[in-house]
Amino acid sequence: MYLRDLKGDEMRKATFKLMLAFLATLALLATACGGSDSESGGDSNNADSGSDSTMTIAVPADQPTIQDAVDAAKPGALILISPGVYNEDVDVITDDLTLRGLDRNTVILDGQFKLENGVRILEANGVVVENMTARNFTSNGFYWTGVEGYRGSYLTAYRNGDYGIYAFDAVNGQLDNSLGSGSPDAGFYIGECYPCNALIDNVISENNGLGYSGTNSGGDLYIVNSTFRNNRAGVVPNSGSYELCYPERDTTVVGNLVYENNNEVAPAIEVALLAQGNGILLPGGVRNLVQRNQVFNHTRTGIGLVPYPEEDASDLAPEAAEWDTPCSETHDVEVPPIPAADCKAVDGLLKGCVVFWNPYENRILDNTISGSGAADLAVGTIDLLGLGVTTDMLRNCFSGNTFATSAPNDLQALAPCDAEGNGGSWDAGALDLLGLLGSPAAAPPEGTYKTTPEPAAQPNMPNAAKAPVTPAPTGPPKVDIDAIALPARPAGT
Amino acid sequence: MTSPFSGPRAQVAAAIALMSSAAILLGACSISEAAGNSGQSPSAQVSPLAPARHTGPQGLAGQFVTDCGYSHSAPDDPIVFPGEPGMSHEHDFFGNSSTNAESSTASLLKGATTCQKQRDTAAYWAPQLRDNGQVVTPVKSVAYYRAAPGVNPKDVVSFPEGLHIIAGDMTATEPLSPDLAGWACGVSSTHDASPPQCPDSAPLRAVITFPDCWDGVNADSKNHRSHMVNSSQGLCPKTHPVHVPQLTFAVAYPISGTGHDLTLASGSTYGIHADFINSWDQEGLENEVKLCLNRDVVCGLSSNRDEDPLFGPK
Repeated sequence: MYLRDLKGDEMRKATFKLMLAFLATLALLATACGGSDSESGGDSNNADSGSDSTMTIAVPADQPTIQDAVDAAKPGALILISPGVYNEDVDVITDDLTLRGLDRNTVILDGQFKLENGVRILEANGVVVENMTARNFTSNGFYWTGVEGYRGSYLTAYRNGDYGIYAFDAVNGQLDNSLGSGSPDAGFYIGECYPCNALIDNVISENNGLGYSGTNSGGDLYIVNSTFRNNRAGVVPNSGSYELCYPERDTTVVGNLVYENNNEVAPAIEVALLAQGNGILLPGGVRNLVQRNQVFNHTRTGIGLVPYPEEDASDLAPEAAEWDTPCSETHDVEVPPIPAADCKAVDGLLKGCVVFWNPYENRILDNTISGSGAADLAVGTIDLLGLGVTTDMLRNCFSGNTFATSAPNDLQALAPCDAEGNGGSWDAGALDLLGLLGSPAAAPPEGTYKTTPEPAAQPNMPNAAKAPVTPAPTGPPKVDIDAIALPARPAGT
Repeated sequence: MTSPFSGPRAQVAAAIALMSSAAILLGACSISEAAGNSGQSPSAQVSPLAPARHTGPQGLAGQFVTDCGYSHSAPDDPIVFPGEPGMSHEHDFFGNSSTNAESSTASLLKGATTCQKQRDTAAYWAPQLRDNGQVVTPVKSVAYYRAAPGVNPKDVVSFPEGLHIIAGDMTATEPLSPDLAGWACGVSSTHDASPPQCPDSAPLRAVITFPDCWDGVNADSKNHRSHMVNSSQGLCPKTHPVHVPQLTFAVAYPISGTGHDLTLASGSTYGIHADFINSWDQEGLENEVKLCLNRDVVCGLSSNRDEDPLFGPK
């Protein structure tokens, strides 16, 4: 068992993660939705990956490179990769492949800061990647685009130039038991999908510009049982018309540890500098559920609901009646330019056709938030365009949270989820949005991602050599969010 | 092939091409006039002189994107003045870092690159920009490779090795169609013939779209233009039957806000143009065309996520 090889701090971390895994298993026992939970729960001694029904290709025994193995594989095949450093970027266009490392920490794809993506899955459905590391790529560690069905389990992605683990225009997915570290954009990203039908479970995201980012995604999208710490900002889904399928909506963020996302030395794209010091930030997020998260020690807000002002926008924000429209119905539709009459700018401040993506109808429930520099709980907008939309009209609500400070003051009495508000003032103690947006952190030097600390050894998937192939999800995850408890603060934090 | 289109994206794209054909026809008048001024009008073609261009948010069509840092500047132009260093107006070079007046495809293939995609060792260049007479050092270039609107993505083949292309008209003193060569803020697909005033969160870009139909024979031509034309409603003319990627090349400048007086080393900002020599690692380029364009996959995006934030310190 790997615990034997660890000592001191590593042992504590590993124990902590085992506890997390145990909690996650409890939470997921009811779901039986495939994925790693069934692997970790099952007795895999009886499993035989070399069974008649599974074509198994060993790297380098059967094929010298991972790409050679992928090119030789038929749908359904298992590619088993032996420990080694592989200086290759792997493209996958065959459905239903499983790429599995025999050891997560020593099966390493290394881009040497020359190659773009560790593994890139391009419109190949049902591809599973598990139990390996991707580092030193100029773009992404692991990247799915245009797929139906994907799973990434027991993956480590660090020192990658855009994202760690990245799913774009992809549905029916699961990212679990993985680590994303040291990317200037997000450690984990799921974007441009609705409904996404995706689960992020028991991952750790640290030392990134953003812990989680997802532009214009949501709908059966769950982020649970995970840790977002020591990023510049923690969990930051957002809306914007620069990509399709806006707005971001219906993301469920439950049972996560979100702490100390104030990292001043982590790599960062500019939006991460702007979001710096916030735990869970919803810039223009709509109808999200944020529940039973443990959020602490942020220089700005613990949980902040803010607008995302987009200059030179490609389109206006859809009306509420359009929020249920699936991405598939808008994805291939030409977007005409914004009519001149609807194109508003803010003199001296915001240029082009400006769109304020406001945070609407988010429910913030039963979280424990503390130690925030600006406010533990915050919501605010500014009506710079003169559209008459003010903070009190956004229909966000707050109940059952444990917190010390809010902006505006007494937010749970002002906007509870289960009762009428008390009619108090929305101006008293209102969020200083211009101050917040107007003071981004200083940018780190170019190429900072290349110096991210080496992560500690990470837990392996159980029985990688013999565990049977577990297909990627084919539909929405079944997550019993009521069974997910508020996580305790880790010892020493 | 009985039907040139397949799949919903292609159908939508075809519809777009049809809808915009009127606009293209209108645009063609001013372009042909400008091209006539330059004396570089290709022989009579049925294809329009302004390209059908992708608009709106990225992601409607399969694409791959290559970001390349600014490499160097020189009064060289290996397409128009090969072997004659110093003969050209000042150019900014991107991608291949060895590009100069003496460059050949063979020499470029040995060169290093400023591109994030290390296999992109192509040579890209554009005239130097000046602001109130001072040289503006560009931030980077962004090259989008896509099937042009209406083109069946499966029909697109890679650029042949060594292909030379020029787009835009450096001699223009009147506005060209901004679909061909123009100016934008950030990744916005709204293009103007003149540089607009841009916000810090979406600073100025010059955007030039290259023709996407090749004659199938010549890597270059005497006027450096007539071997390439634009597709029309998704089709290439019989004279230029080979569909190649529609290369849209953008140069990002650290220019936003007011107080700018912009000119190009070649003259008026109407004359924005760009040159390209395909010295990609050919296998790498063919791989991206096959994986991303032929299969209509969005392999990458360019965004404003790394531009200066709103309200930020000026």
